[in-house]
Amino acid sequence: MSITEMNPDPTSEQKDRLIAAVKKEVKQLMEEAVTRKFVHEESGGVTALCGAVEACLGQGLRRRALGLFKTSSTTALLHKIAKHCPEAALVSARVLSAEGAPATRSASGVERRPSAPRPPLNKRGSGSLLASQPPPTSRYLWIRIALFERQLAKIIEHLVNNATRYYERDALVADPDYGSILSSLLVGPCALEYSKAKAPACFWTDPPADELVQRHRMSAGTTTPPSVRRPILNFRRSLNASSDDNATVNAGSVNAAGSTAKDYVESLHQNSRATLLYGKNNVKVQPKDVEEPMPGYLSLHQTAAGLVIKWTPNQLMNGYAESEGIDKSIYWAMSLQVCVWEVVYVHVHRSQVSDALILVGQDGVQRPPIHFPKGGHLLSFLSNLETGLLPHGQLDPPLWSQRGTGKVFGKNKVRRRPMPSLCESGEAEEPEFDEVAGDYVFRIVNNAIADREAMRHSLLERVIQSPPRTPRRTLASTSTTSSDSSTMSVDCPPIIGNLNPPPTIHQAVEQAASIELVCSTMRRQIISRAFYGWLAYCRHLSTVRTHLSGLVNPNIIPREDAERGLTEEMWRSMMDETGAIADKDEVYRLVYYGGIQHDIRKEVWPFLLGYYEFNTTFQERQEQDCSYRRQYETTMSEWLCVEAIVRQKDREATAASIARLSESSGKPKPEIEPCEVFEDDCSVISDNPPVVSPEPSENEQKKEVKPILSRAPSIDEIDNLELDEERKENGVKVNGETDTCEDISYDQDDDDDEVCIKSVVENPDLRRESIAEIKRLAEGIVQKGDGRGLLCSVDSANANLNGNDNKSIEEIQPPQPSQNHSHSVIVTNPSVDLAVTGGSPASGGTTAPASPARSPLGVLREESHSAGASFDTLDPESRPDNRSNCVSPASSNGGVYSNELVESFALNLHRIEKDVQRCDRNYPFFTDENLDKLRNIMCTYVWEHLEIGYMQGMCDLAAPLLVIMKDEAVAHALFARLMYRAKDNFPSGQAMDAHFADMRSLIQILDCELYELMHAHGDYTHFYFCYRWFLLDFKRELLYQDVFSAWEFIWVARYVASEHMVLFIALALLETYRDVILANSMDFTDIIKFFNEMAERHDASAVLSLARDLVLQVQTLIENK
Amino acid sequence: MSSRKKVLLKVIILGDSGVGKTSLMNQFVNKKFSNQYKATIGADFLTKEVIVDDRIVTMQIWDTAGQERFQSLGVAFYRGADCCVLVFDVTAPNTFKSLESWRDEFLIQASPRDPDNFPFVILGNKVDLDNRAVSAKRAQQWCQSKNDIPYFETSAKEAVNVELAFQTIARNALAQETEAELYNEFPDQIKLNANDNNRNRDGDNCAC
Repeated sequence: MSITEMNPDPTSEQKDRLIAAVKKEVKQLMEEAVTRKFVHEESGGVTALCGAVEACLGQGLRRRALGLFKTSSTTALLHKIAKHCPEAALVSARVLSAEGAPATRSASGVERRPSAPRPPLNKRGSGSLLASQPPPTSRYLWIRIALFERQLAKIIEHLVNNATRYYERDALVADPDYGSILSSLLVGPCALEYSKAKAPACFWTDPPADELVQRHRMSAGTTTPPSVRRPILNFRRSLNASSDDNATVNAGSVNAAGSTAKDYVESLHQNSRATLLYGKNNVKVQPKDVEEPMPGYLSLHQTAAGLVIKWTPNQLMNGYAESEGIDKSIYWAMSLQVCVWEVVYVHVHRSQVSDALILVGQDGVQRPPIHFPKGGHLLSFLSNLETGLLPHGQLDPPLWSQRGTGKVFGKNKVRRRPMPSLCESGEAEEPEFDEVAGDYVFRIVNNAIADREAMRHSLLERVIQSPPRTPRRTLASTSTTSSDSSTMSVDCPPIIGNLNPPPTIHQAVEQAASIELVCSTMRRQIISRAFYGWLAYCRHLSTVRTHLSGLVNPNIIPREDAERGLTEEMWRSMMDETGAIADKDEVYRLVYYGGIQHDIRKEVWPFLLGYYEFNTTFQERQEQDCSYRRQYETTMSEWLCVEAIVRQKDREATAASIARLSESSGKPKPEIEPCEVFEDDCSVISDNPPVVSPEPSENEQKKEVKPILSRAPSIDEIDNLELDEERKENGVKVNGETDTCEDISYDQDDDDDEVCIKSVVENPDLRRESIAEIKRLAEGIVQKGDGRGLLCSVDSANANLNGNDNKSIEEIQPPQPSQNHSHSVIVTNPSVDLAVTGGSPASGGTTAPASPARSPLGVLREESHSAGASFDTLDPESRPDNRSNCVSPASSNGGVYSNELVESFALNLHRIEKDVQRCDRNYPFFTDENLDKLRNIMCTYVWEHLEIGYMQGMCDLAAPLLVIMKDEAVAHALFARLMYRAKDNFPSGQAMDAHFADMRSLIQILDCELYELMHAHGDYTHFYFCYRWFLLDFKRELLYQDVFSAWEFIWVARYVASEHMVLFIALALLETYRDVILANSMDFTDIIKFFNEMAERHDASAVLSLARDLVLQVQTLIENK
Repeated sequence: MSSRKKVLLKVIILGDSGVGKTSLMNQFVNKKFSNQYKATIGADFLTKEVIVDDRIVTMQIWDTAGQERFQSLGVAFYRGADCCVLVFDVTAPNTFKSLESWRDEFLIQASPRDPDNFPFVILGNKVDLDNRAVSAKRAQQWCQSKNDIPYFETSAKEAVNVELAFQTIARNALAQETEAELYNEFPDQIKLNANDNNRNRDGDNCAC
């Protein structure tokens, strides 16, 4: 190492390596520049190139002679040549100014250079070296600067021209060739644009999606939608398979006349037109007119037209380039080229000296014997020949005798064994070869050609023998006449062609025959392809039927003049005077083909999602709204109450954790121990009550106060009654919105220690506020009573609040962890509750009115029923009083809601809040107020479906509904409808996998090229890149305006075209970019990245219309069966 | 290791929803912070070229959905990971608490060759906020108890420690990758080697 260091002794190999390294880096850098239009200065490619250049320059540098002892001697070199070279002077000045503190640049060149003939970047340095390394940007500083200043090539040129002054004689730079190569290599990189911009794109290794799409546009010229260019069905796969051998028919005896010698020799090798099956040199053949057998190259080629055996004299093989003077025509005349189909018999003579093989043509004429060297070459030639003959021909008797019937053409080599006699270690001979020992005759049986010949060449005398085996008739040909396969032996001039055969009459006939043969081969191929095409089509259709028939509706609903979509005018005209709509199919059709005018979305969406029936009247719809709203508010007041508990617990937990944090010792307080926030699974809502303010009388107090939330009955009859009355009172509004107000009353019942929070429907404008009020009060309740128990009860329709009953319920439930509430503890089972509240108008309830009037609550409820409106509303003034007096519940534990329930709701609540906060923040609609609505919708839905719980993505699904509907309750109703279908897409459901499977089938059928690409990358038939598409119905992929149209499109599509419209939209998206995907041969990750980057930049209307087309394609496909 | 083949390091970011996974990734890759991120659905990734110990490596950083329910999706993404970054929110104790289960889940699903020594990095994010609820000490203790996982306190918003953390992530991932290569070549020697490397590596990380 040290010798090299002091005394560089570069071999040319080393120089090669150095130059190669530079070349490679230059190439990479240029590629980077081409794909990105500019190169970032800090790109790894630049550093690598600089390293490679540095290595070249450092090699053979006359350091001592030049007095270069600085750490980076190439930098010193630069400064040195600055006197003579203006470019270097410029760069030198820049370097000096850039360096600032020269001390910092310690180690770039010298330590590594001597031992690093390869670019230093390649080297994995030792730890100490790494530690002292300057940041990459300052390494190779002068080379970098020279490169960015575009002076590098000139500087190096200068160095090369004056190499003797700076370099050893054998240095790379001093070498006339390498030196100029080096400087010219760098011309390219010096012409590039280097950018310092920290644009995000430059940090990405892969071009961003935008760039890909743009590049594609540039290269494609026009942006024709792919569907236009492609046929519906695409058999490219099957066609591809056969198009390779379509190339040229290299018919043995007729070709090669014009080919040059070189081409000929090249044709002996493996190439696109022919497969080399066997090749052996120094195989001797004794041509006519030659005394001694001549060595040559024997080869066996598989071409489209069949097998060809070639033998080429060594004279032609070895020296076609040299010795032009010698006339080689005689050798050309000697070479052999035999089409195997024209050979009938293969004679094998084995002797001590050599193995000879004689080909006997159809005319009975023998070819010159081919002498194989000893050592199994003949055997391997024959076996290759036999393999090559398959599947249309065979050797008879087979070279490899087979055991096991029915495997005539089987490739199962395990069951074969070579004929013993042919093996070198020959054992017993097979009885059927009754020839002289060592001599065998094989017949070449060609089923296909034999048939054809039999038909066509009647002028030839034929001897037809019955075939030894039945051929594979179905595959061999589609012509009906080929019932027999046969071999023949024909009296006919030799077909086996010399390269320059003297034209004779015989051969003319012969050539005509073979041309005809070629033609017929082609004809046959065409027919068989047609057949295979048809077969594939049939299979294909059966796939279509099995996989796709369920995806689209069978009947095609025509588009005719539906392009304009559903306009307000049309919508109004479709309603009768009562507001009912008769022709809902027409609505669906219009929306499907043209969307909805934005102004009336608010009216139409509830119909599309099935919330309103089409045949309802204005009035009915209004009633429906009212009752729904009431129900919604009731549900809300339930969870608001729980929310209050959750908040309180949160506060306690936070307090505890902060307390804990401030206690630096980390010693847990004994009281806090059970609720260890960090250890508890669901820390905020711990199972055990965090005793934050220990009061001795806590438990007692808890017993005393039990706020009870009562909820208006959710039963239709009553609701309807109420509604009727209400309508009478308030007057009916056309839009069906009866505004309601909910007020809260606190009622302290001394006997039972119950506090009731009742929701009451009253007054138009105050509804919203009142909900907020409930919340505030509920929170107030919770906050106030530090040491008291909060008992909330939800009375499901017939809940009985008598103490005794409650006790019995309590007994059933698992015992509460620590508190002993002596009575009145109702643990509400959420699902029971849900059954009632969630029950739509249909789940008629008759129980409520029957509930016992004795309990105070019952009385209250009765009242509320009959009044249909507010009762017990306390004056605002009296409220504070109430608050302070009564209530107070408090600390976290227990109550009428089971801990489980509270916990699970708390968990969901936190998630909801986290997601609501960040839902579509950039969309102006979502002000705090509207985000609050969104949160309420989420919470209400989750409260009703605690078994599903909140899942990420629900916010996204609810947001557009809220944007359109504005009204919280109706938006909730629509959201609930939407979730019927959508919930299966979430991880708990099965729909996503089904979607992926369907996508797979669809792509396979509609775009098999794309399918093959995906298939080739193997992994991503999982279609994970579609995950978000399906989960959110493309909500994140499109802009808001487009989301509206996409959604209504999806909703109505189930009535018009397909229940799974999402699939077709996904397919349309994929198809829109198929060419980009194919051109870049994207894999799993590339596609994910691509589509994530393309989010919200799609041309939605084009995609939707393509989706319609795709549905139509599949429909037609299925209809056409 | 003189081969110039491009090294791709696959890094997975996990953690409860809302702890700042997407923000961290974007701060590191794009050097910017936005308060407009939505909840991540499905998965996304960004790539960035970094230079680690003289090698140019491409980091492919996968950002996943935070809700544990979506973990079933993870398998496809976790496969072939070179490093796993676990993020929690220093203001939310329960996000810290769930680190354990994220780690376990990852090991189950990604099933790396050597689970005991698979490189993890823990990031306590949002240190710019005032209402901190998980002490650095506590986090560090936990990390130490888990085979000395490197721990960083970061703020994606103010770009605190993000670069440093990801540098460590890249280095550890690269070490993992290198071990894997060795593993393939000399199956017998590796065990020893791997352990040594690990010890060194962990030592380094402590210093961080």
